[in-house]
Amino acid sequence: MMGTIQALLIILLVAWMIIDQNGLVIVSYFPVIVGFITGLIMGDITTAMIIAGTFQLMQLGVANLGGSSMPNYGLATIIGAYLAIRTGTGIKTGIAVGLPVGMLAIQLDVLVKIINNFIAHRMAKLNAEHKWRAMLRQPWYGVAFFGLEGAIPAALLVFFGPSAVQAILTWLPKWFTNGLTIAGGLLPVIGVGMLLHYMPTKKFATFLIIGFVLTAYLNLPILAIALIGFACAYYYFNGTMRQANEKKASANSSLAADRQGDNYDE
Amino acid sequence: MSDELKRDVTQTSADTVDRKVLSKHDLHHAAVRWCFMACNAFNYETQEAPGLTWSLAPALRKIYPKDDDYEKAIANHLNYFNTTTAMANVVMGATMAMEEKEGAKSIGAVQSLKTSLMGPLAGIGDTLIWVLWPTIMGSISGYMAVKGNPLGAIIWFLCNLAFFFVKIKLTDVGYFSGTKLITSLGDRISVFTESASIMGLTVVGALIASVVKVQTAINFQFGAVKMPLQSGILDKIMPSLLPVLLTVIVYKLIGSKKWTMNRIIILLIVLSMVCSFFGILK
Repeated sequence: MMGTIQALLIILLVAWMIIDQNGLVIVSYFPVIVGFITGLIMGDITTAMIIAGTFQLMQLGVANLGGSSMPNYGLATIIGAYLAIRTGTGIKTGIAVGLPVGMLAIQLDVLVKIINNFIAHRMAKLNAEHKWRAMLRQPWYGVAFFGLEGAIPAALLVFFGPSAVQAILTWLPKWFTNGLTIAGGLLPVIGVGMLLHYMPTKKFATFLIIGFVLTAYLNLPILAIALIGFACAYYYFNGTMRQANEKKASANSSLAADRQGDNYDE
Repeated sequence: MSDELKRDVTQTSADTVDRKVLSKHDLHHAAVRWCFMACNAFNYETQEAPGLTWSLAPALRKIYPKDDDYEKAIANHLNYFNTTTAMANVVMGATMAMEEKEGAKSIGAVQSLKTSLMGPLAGIGDTLIWVLWPTIMGSISGYMAVKGNPLGAIIWFLCNLAFFFVKIKLTDVGYFSGTKLITSLGDRISVFTESASIMGLTVVGALIASVVKVQTAINFQFGAVKMPLQSGILDKIMPSLLPVLLTVIVYKLIGSKKWTMNRIIILLIVLSMVCSFFGILK
């Protein structure tokens, strides 16, 4: 009985960890924090912390930036610590099993972010139809999918054991998992393309090219590029304002000249 | 039609004078919604946009009582957006201020502001929040943890909890600077919009080279000489050549009437799978 409750709590913790990592970042995927909570659930903080610390040090310097996918060390920690404490097989096994589970979650992560594309489009469609109540329901599906992304591998492991996870990882064809990764790299192009449609791209294509060259050829960091963009924008803003003021001034003076001319004629 | 348009214009210009419809509670409500949802509706295409729209929706509804304006505002926020989640609090504060003061007139300016700010804010935010802070806390608490000591983890957890309130405060900061920006700009807003889109497009140019990732895995074999197409030929012509070509193609497809968004997405996924199967892309 106790074991079942612990197993369910672990699955919930994994699901919450992914949702929290995407938003609140209070527990997040930081191994030591989720490891500590796992220790509390399982009643053995010391073992949990040792595994968590190992994964924490592995994770250092591997930040999850710009929507990229990396091995989920948080999930690996929870699963590793759960297994080590549950079966008493020791820390080495916990680490060896934790990582594959984290890898499986990463495959699902790519899948969820692809499915969410359709959620985004549903939102746009419902907005156009003025069905806002339904539109605001859509992001909750995203929350649910991300929760499942963690809960499915965790449940597989908790109920069917480490071999089930390994079996799925070997069963997934290589071209399929590769294809998911490639799709993850290609799909942002649609967002970029939409932005280009939305902004005055044709008028200011110059700056689009400048930004591209600075990144592609010079590998400048984004802050440097934004500063250059800001410099161009500042120059344009001042220039246009000066022109507008001059036009206003000259319009006034020509008006004055007209009036004078009229007087002269009379 | 033209009468309606005229009435619209007079109404919005009358509204412009110190319009105040959002209370502090509305701001914080949107901020808390964002803190929770953020990347939880993350997708590859518009990234954080659905989460941001969901978070702003109640505030936008207050700003735009008219259905058509509200629809336009929502459609605007559903466009691509991605930055460090904590930094997005600043952005959303600023856009709420702009939309509150200027109404539907501000929509273009809001889009340009978002696009030009998201890059630099992510540059600062990612470094501080996702690299520096976890590295410091992670190494301290990690070394404590391998000895079985949870103290570092507990301190880190409490810091994260405190940071939640900082994020709410960041929305206020954004809101006040947004208000200041709008009042100082006055009727120069259209010039400001154009200038902001210059900065925005510079950042988008950088995005093409950094966010869109296409690389070919094809190798040419000339007798004993092996030549990878990517590093041997394509990169020599132009770095990020394939992302640029893909952007041009997708830009054209989005413009064409025959292609819906869903079709383009499915096309890209199928393309990825096929190219992965035959080893064309990596």
